[in-house]
Amino acid sequence: MKIRASKAERLADEELMPRIGEKDPDAFEVFYDRHGGVAYSLAYRIVGERGAAEDVVQEAFISIWRSGARYDRARGSVRSWMLGIVRNRAIDFLRSKAGRAPKLDFDDDAVLEHRPAEELTDAEALRRETTHELRGALGELPGEQSKVIELAYFGGFSHSEIAAMLEVPLGTVKGRMRLGLEKIRGELAGGLA
Amino acid sequence: MNETEHDRRRDDVAAYLLGALGPGEAAELERHIAACPECEEELERLRPAVQVLPETVEPVEAPAALRNRLMEQVRSEAGDSQEATATRRTPRWQLGLRPLAGLAALALVVAAIGGYAISDSGSGGAKTTTVITGHSPGVTAQMVREGETGTLRLANLHQLPAGKVLQAWVQRGKQVVSAKALFVPNSDGTATATIDGMNGVNTVMVTAEPRGGSVQPTGKPIVSVAIPN
Repeated sequence: MKIRASKAERLADEELMPRIGEKDPDAFEVFYDRHGGVAYSLAYRIVGERGAAEDVVQEAFISIWRSGARYDRARGSVRSWMLGIVRNRAIDFLRSKAGRAPKLDFDDDAVLEHRPAEELTDAEALRRETTHELRGALGELPGEQSKVIELAYFGGFSHSEIAAMLEVPLGTVKGRMRLGLEKIRGELAGGLA
Repeated sequence: MNETEHDRRRDDVAAYLLGALGPGEAAELERHIAACPECEEELERLRPAVQVLPETVEPVEAPAALRNRLMEQVRSEAGDSQEATATRRTPRWQLGLRPLAGLAALALVVAAIGGYAISDSGSGGAKTTTVITGHSPGVTAQMVREGETGTLRLANLHQLPAGKVLQAWVQRGKQVVSAKALFVPNSDGTATATIDGMNGVNTVMVTAEPRGGSVQPTGKPIVSVAIPN
């Protein structure tokens, strides 16, 4: 059933997905308007090129359009599901382009700082404030923990590649990943979730 | 399982959530989790910590052209899906009798690079002109005008090189301006573009342009559709 855009705007993400599965472009448009910005930001953060980020987002959203019915709410929110798709596409792009992901400038805090937003809307400004808090949680981690998390999640490196890169044992890398995630989880439980 | 083995699995959960395990290791862990409530609980406990990572990224404004391309493609595919459904549901012998509700005019088309053939589908005054261009196989174009809005449907398109999109242009007199329609072919070689402001337009053209579109056409038209006044 096709619904008008104004009605779609009042639906929760989980209610939009079945509409998208029924090929309702208005529902898809609302979905993109809600999440396209963070999807593009994530893709750009990973691939580092605007054109490539556009390709990643376009491929990810078209795959969602064509398979929206595959969303399983038991696996988390629609937004997290969508961002997982974008992240995987972006990492695939890096690996196909270079045979492996490029080395991140992980010794430089600017890796999280150097891409300014332009002409933020109110909604984006609010999200930026939330983002600032979340980045604070990430920033609170010891550097050795945030490094391995960033290299894995944003760089697409495997634990063994990270171990070789940092010249530490594999078990150390996995342990730092776990400790880092546990601290972030603790911060979320403390008020950011 | 001894304690050491379980501790190793526990550390693997974090690496798994971060996408840092190899395919074989990930599959092995998934099998373990399926049989280990403790590790499954650990997985669900840590999952939110990974899910917030994308939210820590500095916001970057997505280009409007990206949204336009996506919606062009989505609406095109939605239209194709609805047409396919309608075709399946309507006996072929009835198609020629269906009223073209709301269509002030069904106009068509075209001058082409390699020549053209005109056919008249007849009933209801509807006419369709099919154009064969110099491309191989030839691109087929159909333009349907409804008031000030036109819908251009293309078929037999080649897939575009990386970084290229299709851009529609309208010509009024000698002036050619962008129709503000960027789109890409579907996997089956079809594409649809909606063109607003058709009044006074005597030609609609489509060119391949760099991603984001151009101010003026940078190459020869893939198809050029003459609009009868």
